[in-house]
Amino acid sequence: MPRVTGLDVALVLWPSFLAACAASLLFFAAVDPALLRDAGPRLFAGLERETGYALGFLFFWAVAAIASALSVYLIRTARTPPPAAPAASGAPAEPEER
Amino acid sequence: MASVRPLPPPAPPTSFYAAAAKIYPREIDGRFSGLRKLAVIVLLGIFYALPWIGWNGHQALLFDLPARKFHIFGLTLWPQDFLYLTLLLIIAALSLFFFTALAGRLWCGYACPQTVWTELFVWIEQWTEGSRSQRMKLDRSAWSAAKLLRKGSKQLLWVALALFTGFTFVGYFTPIHSLGAQILRLSLGPWQAFWVALYSLATYGNAGFLREQVCKYMCPYARFQSAMFDADTLIISYDRARGEPRGARRRGSDSRSLGLGDCIDCTLCVQACPTGIDIRQGLQYECIACGACIDACDGVMDKMGTPRGLVRYTTEHALQGVRTRLLRPRLLVYALLISAATGALIVSLLTRTPLILDVIRDRNALYREVHGGVIENAYTLKMINLDDRPHRYRLTASGMPGLEIVDPAGEILLPPGSVNSIPARLEAAGERAGGVHHIVLSLAAVDGSRIAVHENTRFIGPTP
Repeated sequence: MPRVTGLDVALVLWPSFLAACAASLLFFAAVDPALLRDAGPRLFAGLERETGYALGFLFFWAVAAIASALSVYLIRTARTPPPAAPAASGAPAEPEER
Repeated sequence: MASVRPLPPPAPPTSFYAAAAKIYPREIDGRFSGLRKLAVIVLLGIFYALPWIGWNGHQALLFDLPARKFHIFGLTLWPQDFLYLTLLLIIAALSLFFFTALAGRLWCGYACPQTVWTELFVWIEQWTEGSRSQRMKLDRSAWSAAKLLRKGSKQLLWVALALFTGFTFVGYFTPIHSLGAQILRLSLGPWQAFWVALYSLATYGNAGFLREQVCKYMCPYARFQSAMFDADTLIISYDRARGEPRGARRRGSDSRSLGLGDCIDCTLCVQACPTGIDIRQGLQYECIACGACIDACDGVMDKMGTPRGLVRYTTEHALQGVRTRLLRPRLLVYALLISAATGALIVSLLTRTPLILDVIRDRNALYREVHGGVIENAYTLKMINLDDRPHRYRLTASGMPGLEIVDPAGEILLPPGSVNSIPARLEAAGERAGGVHHIVLSLAAVDGSRIAVHENTRFIGPTP
């Protein structure tokens, strides 16, 4: 397990925050949290709208953060470093054998 | 037996992470610094003042999430109006593309909240801790009462500003007057307190602590803005042909005879840079196009008696001596798309009907036979008045001869911003009512506001 740096934390929390903002916007434009309370499963009984928005946002953030964290972890623990970009587009990575 | 080859020794772990060295941007006066000061004052002025402005008895700009209504001056938007928000976001994105293709990272240098709040936090820093050299000296010095006073007052002002920013931000979503009163009474709701704290923390962290690292490591736009650049895009660039070879010299000495270019290598452009890059190394993605290096260099050129513009806004083509083309297909396409999206937004806003009618047929009985062979159908009308004013409506039915509305016979009054559900009954004489009839129920305003909606439904009688 590589050492967790401040950059890792930023790379996990920040893109997932952006994704959570977009997801909350789309989800709550279509779904009223009060509807979950009135017609949803018992789990949502007594749910205030404001609590619904906040919990929904935190839920999306958490899920997206898991995805971000896995991406960062997979990149950091890869045995081979990711291939460097070729110097010129279309140039072969290795000289061709003749 | 297969020979066992030892594995190659493991490569030392490569890490691209280095703790960022603190950047002390040098204070610079000039054209672009003046422009940014103006942008900061105007944009933050709007941000902090807007929630306090009223409009027809409510907050002029209020994204009332608890009530699921957006008040934008005279307009009230409901979740059903999501289309407008989508169009607005599309217009914003296309405008960003347009201005980036035209003049580079104008957004980053002058309008991005990251830049604007960082500028404000740096002003506080300069005010409490002094100039660049004083700040560097202060950081190196041992803790003393004077250092504690300077650092402490900076932190106090930063935290106060961050908290007020968080409060203002939440004031766009909850009425700011009652929010302020709740804070003064210390009776803030837990979620409101959470959002104020989160936004305050984000402001403090981003503008006070992270600063240029947000642009360098966190901003997606910084990475893909180059896709919108071409050789005719305005960029901030060092004129290598004029500046090199760089070197120090006495004021008034003849550069030509010394074999030097115009760059005196004073490094003021580097010291002024808020992201800590050297613009003389060419265009770099860290450059937020704030123009601080231009202001720094122009000041030096004035002192040296050489013409300004060694570092300037120019284009790749201009540097190569090719004519810069302002009108390019890319820009025209962006402009066309922006006009189309703006047109669609305006047309849909102008033709918006502030009334929603849903007709639901009675689920229990297809029809009912009332007095003298008359057939009756029952419905539920769901009516939403999206307007800020009350409206009076009358229901009419068409699409079938002899169809009459029994209930609601009179006018229907819908209060502003209300969701109403009322029963409706329609009747038709038995000899004409047989079978399924496709009918239209219309709700039209009778208060002169020309609002009308039509909804298709069915009238069912006994099978003939």
